[in-house]
Amino acid sequence: MKKATAGPAAPESGGAGRRVVVTGLGAVTAAGWGVGPLNDWLQTGRTAIGPFTRIDHHLQRTHVAGEVPPPPAGQARLFARWRRYSNTDRFALFAAVEAAAAARLPASLHDRASGVFFGSSTGGLFESEQFYSQLVGHSTDVANRSFLASHHLSAPAEAVARQFGVSGPVETLSSACASAGLAIEQALRSVRSGEVDIAFAGGADCLALTTYSGFNALRAMDAQPCRPFRADRQGMSLGEGGAVLVLEDLEHALARGVTPLAEVLGAGSTCDATHMTAPHEAGQFAAEAMRSAIADAGLTAGDIGYINAHATGTPLNDAAEYAAMRLVFGERTSDVPVEATKSVLGHLLGAAGAVEAVVTVLGLMHRVVHPTAGDGPCDPATPLTLVSGRPRAVPDLRYAISSSLGFGGANAAVLLGRWMPT
Amino acid sequence: MSDDVKLKQDLKRLIVERLRLEGLTPEKIADDAPLFGDGLGLDSVDALELVVGLEQEYGIVIKSHEIDKTIFTSVDTLASFVQSARGGGVQGAPPSATGAPDKHQKHDEHEEGHGRPRSA
Amino acid sequence: MNVLHRVVITGLGVVAGPDCGTEALGNSLGAATMKTVVVDDRQGYHVPGSSRRAVLTTGVDLSAWVPPAVARRMSPPSRLAVAATQMALVQSGLAGAVGGLSTGVVLSSSLGPVTSTEQLLDVARRDGPQAVSPFAFAESVANAAAGQVAIFTKAQGPNLTIVQREAGSLTAVGRGAALIASGQVDRVLAGTVDEMPPLLHALIGRFDALAKPDETGAEIARPFDARRNGFVVAEGSVVVVLEREDLARGRGARILGRIRGFAGAFDATAPRLGWGGGSAALAGALDRMLKSAGCRASDVTRIVSGASGAVAGDRIEADVLKAVWAGAPLPTILVPKAYVGQYGGGFLAGAVLSVSGGSFGKTPGFESADPALGIQPFAGGPLTPAPLSLFTTIGSGGSASWLLVESA
Repeated sequence: MKKATAGPAAPESGGAGRRVVVTGLGAVTAAGWGVGPLNDWLQTGRTAIGPFTRIDHHLQRTHVAGEVPPPPAGQARLFARWRRYSNTDRFALFAAVEAAAAARLPASLHDRASGVFFGSSTGGLFESEQFYSQLVGHSTDVANRSFLASHHLSAPAEAVARQFGVSGPVETLSSACASAGLAIEQALRSVRSGEVDIAFAGGADCLALTTYSGFNALRAMDAQPCRPFRADRQGMSLGEGGAVLVLEDLEHALARGVTPLAEVLGAGSTCDATHMTAPHEAGQFAAEAMRSAIADAGLTAGDIGYINAHATGTPLNDAAEYAAMRLVFGERTSDVPVEATKSVLGHLLGAAGAVEAVVTVLGLMHRVVHPTAGDGPCDPATPLTLVSGRPRAVPDLRYAISSSLGFGGANAAVLLGRWMPT
Repeated sequence: MSDDVKLKQDLKRLIVERLRLEGLTPEKIADDAPLFGDGLGLDSVDALELVVGLEQEYGIVIKSHEIDKTIFTSVDTLASFVQSARGGGVQGAPPSATGAPDKHQKHDEHEEGHGRPRSA
Repeated sequence: MNVLHRVVITGLGVVAGPDCGTEALGNSLGAATMKTVVVDDRQGYHVPGSSRRAVLTTGVDLSAWVPPAVARRMSPPSRLAVAATQMALVQSGLAGAVGGLSTGVVLSSSLGPVTSTEQLLDVARRDGPQAVSPFAFAESVANAAAGQVAIFTKAQGPNLTIVQREAGSLTAVGRGAALIASGQVDRVLAGTVDEMPPLLHALIGRFDALAKPDETGAEIARPFDARRNGFVVAEGSVVVVLEREDLARGRGARILGRIRGFAGAFDATAPRLGWGGGSAALAGALDRMLKSAGCRASDVTRIVSGASGAVAGDRIEADVLKAVWAGAPLPTILVPKAYVGQYGGGFLAGAVLSVSGGSFGKTPGFESADPALGIQPFAGGPLTPAPLSLFTTIGSGGSASWLLVESA
């Protein structure tokens, strides 16, 4: 049962205390419903960003996104239970159920110290937009309030908590692009400190008119699928979906007879505190988040063998992120293989940090760095090692960093390690 | 008053209103005063907000690659840009400063173009 | 587990509806009448016969705290949060002195930004997506307020925006305190912000959550009362300065309270928009929190309850407290939401103020206890500093949050 803790639920730091491992993964993305389809897609080097129908975009500046395809036919019963939920809720629930099954968790976690730590920027915004459209378009008594039932940003996390009877903390962080990275950090600290033994760490977001229009208003989106770090990159692509990692106390997992998939070794976060939409161009605070994660793991920058970068594909982000990597990795920056998952799935906003952590774990498990979609030379101003075409084997891969740099300046870095039984 | 002067007055009003520069009257903005950086201290998001204002007010379409510092240097440069975007010089320019924007007008991004979008 | 540092509160900034500053709020708590105004319903969002009143910040002039040049691109939540932050820093003696990696920001919002999104969607609908304002989008994200606070104070440490419905404000303080306790930062600006535009007010009303107009047309929140029928909503922002105790004492700061414990829990029986029946599990979590802090229920000298007048919400709140106190009499129960409404931080501010003592008038709206609950909130009078206070919130949708604060 839950271990007593003294004082406020204070996180561990400096690597002391309980070890936290990943025992299950779940994902819903443009590649399909499930980690299997995601993993398969990651082998191909192709992008899953393309035409989409979630919202009407004929008046938008761009016409591509990483849209989740229709759900698989064989899951009718599951989806029937969830039919009143929002898209975002369903992405979260599917991913959580998949992750829980992979972790061989019991159907109910009610008697275990467990929590949910999620990121979301949209919650049920897609459905709320439909409600609003009814509200302002028709008389006030026609708009169907049931569209609003999952409006809250906290709704996906709460749906997951209800699904599994979670009784511990259920928290949602909404810091734009850094949300899920920060949520994973919170889950890490919660498990490390003994506040919980099991945590669903994840995120979910859905394409919506607000976000699609908003990023176009900022002229931030590329008409083509995004091309992070390439010389001719023009901007980002939006995506949607959900991803969940089951984080667990190592001893608790081993006692259940479950083999970890990876270890969560450290995390760090900072804030640029400079501008609401543009990253700090010198990258120093993004660098500090990475350094902090590395220190939290008790490692050095030289130990990192793979970087899953934030890499939205906007000229400003990628340049600032390169600068940040230079500050942390110095001369090695151009040698450490980098993966830009957003080139494949698009930017999942509040779920990005979670889906990218899942991808990073897959890389660690299989000792590969997956290809970044697209071709063309890297921007000479950001000379990085991107993998193209098919995954690159990295036989001695042990440690990886996944970074998420958000709108509003929040930066999050999570350090993951291959599971290496001692 | 000449169309050119009127256009610049309207642009100054648009700048103050759209960018919410309370306490600044349009008359106080000199035609050639720098708008960005040290001048009025506007930044990239202000530029984008102004772009939307210009498109809506004048019924023009401004491509991302056209949004660069030279257009926004001053009210003077802005006025030249708007005049050429409206398809004429001062003579023969469409009379209405609030040319109703066509909400069905396509705003697709060109793939060619050398400029880069400004925002993150 | 390493708890390296003790954490104290050294400043409190308040914009709670019309009350700007701790003195104004203190006066309102003493006078014990909720200050509601009629919500603008000209856009026609409100259905006939629905509740019309809320505690709003209309008329509050924040320009002394947030200069117009800085406020220019800020939405209401950002302005409110920056103002409250600055007030808290001034009170703590740290104004202008908190920049850097050793200062974090942890804000919560129960309902998130609405005005900016509404504006954005209106324009998109009317004039097409190409007419959408970049300003509106930039401020439509839930972390706009936290981002603006960081820019304003140059706080470069962890920056978190917690969205956890009504439970968020206590979670923000609890998690903020944990960042300091573990040594990640030296201080945190922690708090909450909510805006209440007409659209939001109308929609909450559509779910029958608001206190209904009575025979005189008055809309009264009656926490724990037999006749309660909903809550009254408010807007505003409240921010506290959390600091390492040794650093605070080292600079001679006035201490408003010490964070003794925090816990969060979830009632999985709660429907999405209401409260469930899982009081036993919640009581167990609260019990464990007290034990972890080395306390028993009998050590708690005062409860500051997040009860709001919600029919089911107040019931589960009462059930949990009674279960934890296990038949022993409950200590004094303050219910700030009866005085200042729900959302916007009035509850957090009232709670923090009460630790140092002060004067709360008789709990507004409360006339007779619901016999099923058997809770009598504070009858009014002077309050001495409370050696140990328990702040509680059980939010709709299932999340519960508790903070243990001792006077120091």
